[in-house]
Amino acid sequence: MTPPTFPGAVAPERTRRFVSGGLSLCLREWGDPAAAPLVLSHGMFDHGRGFDLLAPHLAERFRVIAIDARGHGDSDWADAYAWGCDVIDVVHVLRSLDQPAHLLGHSRGGGLMTDTAARCPELVRQLVNMDGFGPPPGGFRFPGEEPARTPPEELASFLDWRRRANAHRERRAYATLDDLAEHRRRQNPRLSLEWLRYFQYHGARETERGWTLKVDPHAGRGVGPWNPDWIGPGWRSLRAPMLAIIGSEQDTWGPLPEEVLAERLANVPHLDRGVVADAGHFMHIEQPERTARLLLDYLER
Amino acid sequence: MKSLEHGRVRIALRELRPGPGPALLAVHGLRGSSEEWGDSLASWKGAVHALDLTGHGESARLAGGAYHPELLAGDVDVAIAATAARHLVGRGLGAYLALLVAGSRADRIDGTLLLPGDGIEGGGPEPVFDDLAERFAAFHLRASGAVDGRADPALSALETDIRPPAYATSFARRARRLLLAEDGSARPPWWTAIRELGTAQIVSTRLPDALAALAP
Repeated sequence: MTPPTFPGAVAPERTRRFVSGGLSLCLREWGDPAAAPLVLSHGMFDHGRGFDLLAPHLAERFRVIAIDARGHGDSDWADAYAWGCDVIDVVHVLRSLDQPAHLLGHSRGGGLMTDTAARCPELVRQLVNMDGFGPPPGGFRFPGEEPARTPPEELASFLDWRRRANAHRERRAYATLDDLAEHRRRQNPRLSLEWLRYFQYHGARETERGWTLKVDPHAGRGVGPWNPDWIGPGWRSLRAPMLAIIGSEQDTWGPLPEEVLAERLANVPHLDRGVVADAGHFMHIEQPERTARLLLDYLER
Repeated sequence: MKSLEHGRVRIALRELRPGPGPALLAVHGLRGSSEEWGDSLASWKGAVHALDLTGHGESARLAGGAYHPELLAGDVDVAIAATAARHLVGRGLGAYLALLVAGSRADRIDGTLLLPGDGIEGGGPEPVFDDLAERFAAFHLRASGAVDGRADPALSALETDIRPPAYATSFARRARRLLLAEDGSARPPWWTAIRELGTAQIVSTRLPDALAALAP
């Protein structure tokens, strides 16, 4: 089928492969290759083409490089996933550049870029975190989902899933691209079907069975003793200045209650905050120009 | 040698001694393998099985290197399903994995013997937030280096993994019978927290004695 278009969306000018930890990752670039690098990281179950609306604005001043995280978009699937491995992937990309970079992450990618900057201050100039400040103290939960179980119960459930999940489990197939867009809209009701159609086209492939998502179903499956109380203190080591952005409107995945967010951000040594008006969690999709203006005012000031 | 799978992981299971009698499953320590047991478990009155954990021995390496204890607990879990073993012995990392499975599969495991050894001792009970950059640089050097050509460098993550004592004791409380083999050497915080619960039986690190205490 003809690739869908969306007003303002600009495809990457260059796409290349990058090997990290034995996996081939997909990097997408916009802008002058000689300009200062600005590295982007998308959210959970998203992919780099989600920056097609924001990146063209940023490319006026930067070499914009969006990473498809392992298991996402056009990057390889791993056998299993751990946060620390994603951090190392970003570190490898940053080390491949000839100068320290600006980092920008959305949602899970915001947390990832923040943790990366805290570990590798020498590789980072400035940091922008777009509503990626971690789950609330009780963890992310879908509406109606039961309260957290004990660690042994959680592990038993994880082990049951491991026994069932074989190597070649087929992804669920959707009859049409519109079905995929509708499916995603249930999680992100603020986003238009027109955008989600564009976004899902690049995050899915058409097979004989129908449309299947590229994202690895194993990527979101984790269990262990990690504690949300560790998030804020982990940012004390940040040396790069951080711009923390949220949307003005309450959305499915954010923003956090202000008292939780303020408590975590109190650990950041050099902090600015911003709010994108008339936008929810996906401020760079709902209000790409406003978001870009905020970012371009902040970066390299 | 038998091959078992969970998710995309393929592991090797070795029968050290055939049955009859209650089956025992042995779980080796970090960078070890099923071979390390030799005939040290010969006094067990029953079948003895030993697995090679993911990334060790004859088992496959993990593409992408995301080694973590809960994933490796899956190795133990499919091995108890395949062997019907109701008794576990684990060393170092393997002791921690045996604890996780004893607590999450409490109806399947009658007794678990934890032996001191290599793995998940360096991470401590909670993250240290100071000197993050220095500690990350040291870790990353190990995790990406090829110091030992045989072992997957990514296994280093299992040396620095954070293991809070309260998490470990939540499994210890559910496990039916836990035996801690002690020789007076210093133990990691998760281990001493289990000891302080007062419900585990303290046994000698001399394997014939410890196995006699584990026997049904």
